[in-house]
Amino acid sequence: MIKVAVVGCGGMGNIHADRYASMPEASLVGVCDVNEAAAKALGDAMGVLWFTSMAEMLKEVGAEAVSLAVPTYLHVPLLKEAADLGVHVICEKPIALSSAEAAEAIRYCEERGVRLFVGHVVRFFPNYEQLAGKVREFGGERGGVYHAKRAGSHPALVQPWFKDAAKSGGVVFDLMIHDIDYALGTFGEATEVFAFNKVTDDIDYATATFRFKNGTIAQIEAFWGYPGPFYTSFEYAAAGGIVRGASSDSESLSVRVAAPPGSAAGFVETPQSVLLQDPYYRELAHFLSCIESGGEPIVTAKDALLAVRWAEAALESARTGQPVKLGEGGAR
Amino acid sequence: MRKLKIGMLSFAHSHAFDYLDSLLRMRNVEVAGIADEAPERTKELAARHSIPYYADYRDLLADASVEAVVICSENVRHAELTIASAKAGKHVLCEKPLGLGAEEMESMIAACKEAGVELMTAFPCRYLTPVVRAKEALERGEIGEILSFKATNRGSFPDVPWFSDKSLSGGGAVLDHTVHVMDLMNWFTGSNPASVYAYAATLFDPEGKRTIDDAGMVHVTFENGVSAVLDPSWSRNPGFPTWGDVTMDIIGTKGVISIDAFNQKNSVYSRKSGKGDWAFWGDDMNALMLEAFVTAILEGKPVPVTGEDGLRSARVALRAYDSVEAGSPVKV
Repeated sequence: MIKVAVVGCGGMGNIHADRYASMPEASLVGVCDVNEAAAKALGDAMGVLWFTSMAEMLKEVGAEAVSLAVPTYLHVPLLKEAADLGVHVICEKPIALSSAEAAEAIRYCEERGVRLFVGHVVRFFPNYEQLAGKVREFGGERGGVYHAKRAGSHPALVQPWFKDAAKSGGVVFDLMIHDIDYALGTFGEATEVFAFNKVTDDIDYATATFRFKNGTIAQIEAFWGYPGPFYTSFEYAAAGGIVRGASSDSESLSVRVAAPPGSAAGFVETPQSVLLQDPYYRELAHFLSCIESGGEPIVTAKDALLAVRWAEAALESARTGQPVKLGEGGAR
Repeated sequence: MRKLKIGMLSFAHSHAFDYLDSLLRMRNVEVAGIADEAPERTKELAARHSIPYYADYRDLLADASVEAVVICSENVRHAELTIASAKAGKHVLCEKPLGLGAEEMESMIAACKEAGVELMTAFPCRYLTPVVRAKEALERGEIGEILSFKATNRGSFPDVPWFSDKSLSGGGAVLDHTVHVMDLMNWFTGSNPASVYAYAATLFDPEGKRTIDDAGMVHVTFENGVSAVLDPSWSRNPGFPTWGDVTMDIIGTKGVISIDAFNQKNSVYSRKSGKGDWAFWGDDMNALMLEAFVTAILEGKPVPVTGEDGLRSARVALRAYDSVEAGSPVKV
């Protein structure tokens, strides 16, 4: 049983706390947020102590590991603070807003003997796990053509810090990073990237094509400000076959409720793809098991650093209009 | 009703068979001759429909009653046949890509101008009803200004052997499948492609013997700043439920238009074929394109899709190969 605390009581913090609370191998011991109301609401809901200071919480509740579910620009300062207290860190993605900071974070945790995990959750989606198997089966030596897409409303509509690229890194660092991480875990070494990025007041849209050493061409889109429900899709085509999937095609349960009389819509619909253990649960349980066993995680902090390097290269390409070679930074 | 007498020059491209089917159903058309250098391909077919058959296209062009021709030869012969037809005073509908070099295409356009005949490039995708409706929505300003395109024109490896012989085809998937969607993008933006950067590879032959490109990713920047990404790969295998697709997301400042042109389909599972198939039931783009050509000629009006349109998009595909060689974007 590992004692875990959660910092950040927003959307992701709620998910982490909820999954730990339902996990036999974890004991949720506290939650924390600088926003007192958010901290109290989640603490009360989970029946655990709540705090407005991480250091205070970690000292008081004796947490062995802490989840950082805070805005990206706070990842590195908070993970260093946790490392100083000897607490293992499970940090939401992306690990940092620059590869220099990411490398520094890894070094800092290593020196203090604490584990550092980064929540690249796509690796824990069963459809993407299956896809990786098919890539191995169909791709052979020559690779294939991959498409991945992730689109949803602009998160700044709910949390204004997302709009500040200095805090969130924009759509490439925050959203595309999912598919970048998945691609580097699945297709291996990338040689270069060519990208476009279109930013308006309402939209942050990026499209990046990564070329891999094995021949694979991976075309990845990320879209904040998409006027429709959040969705993801992928397709991999190679000599041996084609595999494709989309979130809109994999809803396994839909709850439709008649709307109250007088409301504009006739009904309220909540489509879901339901699993006994969702990808966040699987990810967090995996990280905790690595802490217990000392084993290597499926996605390492070095992978997270690499994903940041590739994101930097994509943004550089979008800025310069030229392909950017990944060189040493392309290899896992 | 006046009937337009049309001759068909070469059936090397299998689209000729589809075009013939459509032409035979049109009440304002008489198919007045089939010229094909391979009698085993068409002689019987011509006899079955009581159409005069010519082994030499010059004999067909010598028939003064023929007013227009449809050219479906190997790509490398488009220029020769178009110029000869123009000199014989025939209006021309030429299969895409219009030609294999900018100069060659310019000479085709000039020959038709000089002879006072119309030259239309066969871009049937212009006649896909969802594409037409998308164009109308763009013109109404429904999604504001276009920022970016993401498109696919994925297909199957052509079953006619000359497609994989560069001396006859001029190129593989990047040439064959870039031109259709490039034409749509040119039409939608009203701008000209300024630069192109592409990847091309040979990835989809299970036996590993193919040498022509069957995979690629084409990135285009237009003069007005719009960016575009297009997958022209021949990536569909016989197990896939249909031959290929035309999809396009048009990302605008105020919305998104998504086209999936062949998504009007029934899913068919026949015991005999042993696999699932998508049976398309949408409007017939080939018939609509041919009607547009015939109507323009009969009414003495300019054709709706010109030789210049064919040149504009073929040039992007040809320059795409140059960018592959250069390893950097090239001006179009």
